[in-house]
Amino acid sequence: MSLNLLQIVVNGLLLGAVYALFSSGLTLIWGMMNVINFAHGEFVMLGMFAAWLTQRYLAGGPLVFTLAAAVVLFLIGVVIYVAIIRDVMRGPMLAQILATFGLALLLRYAVFWAFSPDVRTLPAGALDHTLDLGGILIRLPRLVAGLVAGALALGMHLLLTRTALGSRLLAVAEDRQAAMLMGIRPDRLQALAWGLAAASAGIAGALMATFFPFSPLTGETYALTAFVVVTLGGFGSVPGAMLAGLVIGLIEQVSAYEIGPIYQDVVVYGLFVALLWLRPQGLLGKA
Amino acid sequence: MRHTFAAAAVLMLAAVPAWAADPVKIGVIFPLSGNAGSAGNAAKAAVELGAEIVNSPHQGLEALPLGEGKGLANLGGAKIELIVADHQGDPSVGAQQTLRLITQDKVAAMLGAYQSSVTFTATATSERYGIPFVVGDSVAANITGRPGFKSIFRVTPVAGDFATNYMLFLADMKKAGRKVDQIAIVNENTDYGTSVADTTQKAAKEHGFTVAAQIPYSAKSTDVSPQVLQLKEAKPDVVIFISYTADSILYMKTMKDLDYRPAMIIGDDSGFSDPNFIPAVAEIAQGVMNRSAWDVGKPGTVTYAINTLYKAKTGHDLDDTSGRDMQAFFVLADAINRAQSTEPEKIRAALQATSLAPAQLMMGYRGVKFDETGQNTEAATYLIQLQGKAYQAVWPEKSATAALQWPMAGWK
Amino acid sequence: MRWPWLALGALLIAYPWLVSGTDSAAFLQDMGVLVLLAAIGATGWNIVGGYAGQVSVGHALFFGAGAYLPLLLYQHWLLPPLLGVPFGVAVSLALALAVGYPTFRLVGHYFSMATIAVAELVHIVVGNWDFVGAAIGLQGPATPRGWYDLIFLSSVPYYYIFLAVLALLLLATWRMQQGRVGYYLRAIRAGERAARSLGVPVRRYKLYALMLSATFTSLAGSLYALKNGSIDPDYGFGILVSVRMVIIAALGGAGTLVGPLVGAVILIPLETWTNTVFGGSGSGLTYIIYGGIIVLIARFEPGGLVELWHRLVATRAR
Repeated sequence: MSLNLLQIVVNGLLLGAVYALFSSGLTLIWGMMNVINFAHGEFVMLGMFAAWLTQRYLAGGPLVFTLAAAVVLFLIGVVIYVAIIRDVMRGPMLAQILATFGLALLLRYAVFWAFSPDVRTLPAGALDHTLDLGGILIRLPRLVAGLVAGALALGMHLLLTRTALGSRLLAVAEDRQAAMLMGIRPDRLQALAWGLAAASAGIAGALMATFFPFSPLTGETYALTAFVVVTLGGFGSVPGAMLAGLVIGLIEQVSAYEIGPIYQDVVVYGLFVALLWLRPQGLLGKA
Repeated sequence: MRHTFAAAAVLMLAAVPAWAADPVKIGVIFPLSGNAGSAGNAAKAAVELGAEIVNSPHQGLEALPLGEGKGLANLGGAKIELIVADHQGDPSVGAQQTLRLITQDKVAAMLGAYQSSVTFTATATSERYGIPFVVGDSVAANITGRPGFKSIFRVTPVAGDFATNYMLFLADMKKAGRKVDQIAIVNENTDYGTSVADTTQKAAKEHGFTVAAQIPYSAKSTDVSPQVLQLKEAKPDVVIFISYTADSILYMKTMKDLDYRPAMIIGDDSGFSDPNFIPAVAEIAQGVMNRSAWDVGKPGTVTYAINTLYKAKTGHDLDDTSGRDMQAFFVLADAINRAQSTEPEKIRAALQATSLAPAQLMMGYRGVKFDETGQNTEAATYLIQLQGKAYQAVWPEKSATAALQWPMAGWK
Repeated sequence: MRWPWLALGALLIAYPWLVSGTDSAAFLQDMGVLVLLAAIGATGWNIVGGYAGQVSVGHALFFGAGAYLPLLLYQHWLLPPLLGVPFGVAVSLALALAVGYPTFRLVGHYFSMATIAVAELVHIVVGNWDFVGAAIGLQGPATPRGWYDLIFLSSVPYYYIFLAVLALLLLATWRMQQGRVGYYLRAIRAGERAARSLGVPVRRYKLYALMLSATFTSLAGSLYALKNGSIDPDYGFGILVSVRMVIIAALGGAGTLVGPLVGAVILIPLETWTNTVFGGSGSGLTYIIYGGIIVLIARFEPGGLVELWHRLVATRAR
């Protein structure tokens, strides 16, 4: 394999890890509550802005602004659940789609109004290095983002499968009524799930901001990618999202390099449609 | 009691003599929200500044037509009033808002509209009503030259002009002994990038350059490493980028990350001229070139004064695209003044008869003269280069304010 | 029961004349055309998204096909765009069959996601295909060569053509909902498994609904292209085109006959008004309001305004 192709593969995996990072939250919501969140891309964007604001006004480094983004987004996630999602979930499917779509527009343009459409970048601060591994160049912020993604996915997976809290979340996902009868409070858990999902999107955004320029409008692209990743991985499966993220990142980069950048999107969407038709439960989802 | 008060107020107002001539209304249409919101708002600020300059005196601008700041002298000192609309980047909204400005607000002329697709439909609407439409920035070829259309006037150079300029520049470089045989074109794949890429390809062939690679990509890409690696493999001498802001920044960063530095990069305005570009990548993109008909110039010049005013108004330096719109505004204001009327047909005739010399312009055109399709045949552009924290004009040599650095330094 | 319909019909017919006296006449008449256009698209979507309960967010597929074919005929062969309208319908039907058949196996969110993906796929392909104009799109005749080019100085002829088309579509929708198809679709919407167990040929009727819906939506696209005189990939196949149809129908009341029309009558003027009033400042306030309205509808009155109306009327009757 030529050095360039190897570089592409490495880049693809790192990019994929980032995709996995912001998709793992989405799969949690989707799996638990059967709600598509069209505003998920905006959560990532808000994470980017939260990080930028923290870095600008509190002069924090990557650790500080990522944590800030996580906290802010957690709160936003919970608030959105309580104010909108909780009621809309009980309604018709149309209402759910509309609600999150409207939310996406609202968030996107509220930020646009508050911060102007300027494209911004976030300095990587302490992480501003490039590693050279035998000719393969790896940016440290990307590597960190990838590692954090893995850690987060692992953490979430452990949370869901090994803790009491996790089993309660899964119980609610499986059968809300039964869970209630067992004394579990679905409402609180679902609010928590939204908070966690938003927080993970926020962390993803904060880290991504160090290597992707962003603006209030960048959320749109991330949402679609997240949907593809979640579908491939299987709704509700956090390890699935991790695996799928890596696969999608890899496919995107390799097809862009070998065939052409335009066809990258065609390949990904084509794969998406084929998946939905042939294996809607994805790689690791329940059939 | 209230009635008497109101009646008295009305009588007082009626008694005030109309000593000022009615303002002349001009419709301005730009994308103020959506993807091009940033550029649209910058252009709007530029046109607003133009109106301020015409309406009230500002120091150092007397060389410009109407630069004394006394309004439209031939219309009794009438002030210009701008009525601004947002077309959101949607050609249908563009047509609709143009219709509103013309029929409801009764503007005397229109100015706009940034995206070529919107300018196309907006000008079709204004043509139907016979209202002159001055295009300051859209470069698609099909905006002028539609059979039977006579109210569209385009002040800016078009895509074909830019492509020719690039090739002439590269030919000059070749003559000076630099290695320029292979070029690569990297373009975002919406109508802007595609149309400019096509004209650049054609121009390259005409001037005898080989296009080693043409790489279309989506402006919303989150990662451009494949594209950069493709460039690394193709090994062109010069890379021409036709890209928007986020992607331009992303390319510069990715090229540094992957240690790829061609001898020269030429950016086709847009992203490379965005106020966010330099602050984001100045340190790693030294020496990249850009095209611009705008140069701030030295203190004491008209352009320097305009830039100072613009910076005070918006916090940014004036960029090329907004500058072109401001220039279009001055051309329009001058025409209305010469027409001595707000009647559309008279303004149209005055526009057609426009003949401005370079000394009367703020942009680096060779002049303003419209041909029968409404295109300014004297439109021109410089090539500028990022040196330090600002662009300097480096070509053609007679307009250069700094020496060209070849190859580009990048991050070294 | 009859008089509200007659009143509505009369109002729609008389509208251009009613606004003709004012300064804003041309603008208001044009807005009327845009309202009708939006209503036609949303009425088309309503068949599959409202009555059958299959929330497609990819109807731009049919809209785009309907918009591109007429202008394609002009761009390449200088034929009157009007001739392309039936071709647009034909292509849409073919797409409906090709896409609908495998996609209707999916339910709920999966179905919606699939429709988004298919529409996006076509969006990208069209944007890179030179034959259909790639990213630049297609343009129609700049000046009319005859009445058949359908280029009018005033909006009024467009208004009546569009009104006629809308009336036809509403009539077709009404007939459908009264008949067996409507009955089956309602059963499918209420619950597919139950419907199937009762013997409803679910797959077949979903497909019929999609084909009818595709035809109507294609017509909306054709009318858009004829009026606008140009089309490009974003405004033919973009996701916002699909979403807008959904929002308009939902705002008025998805699954009701006049819901889409009501939605269009409210939303288009509202959009225009917010853009006119706030747009000039460039703050994106238009979209904030838009988004806010959508969220409020979804949260508080998902049945749309028609539902709200019924509720208010019912409470008053007590």
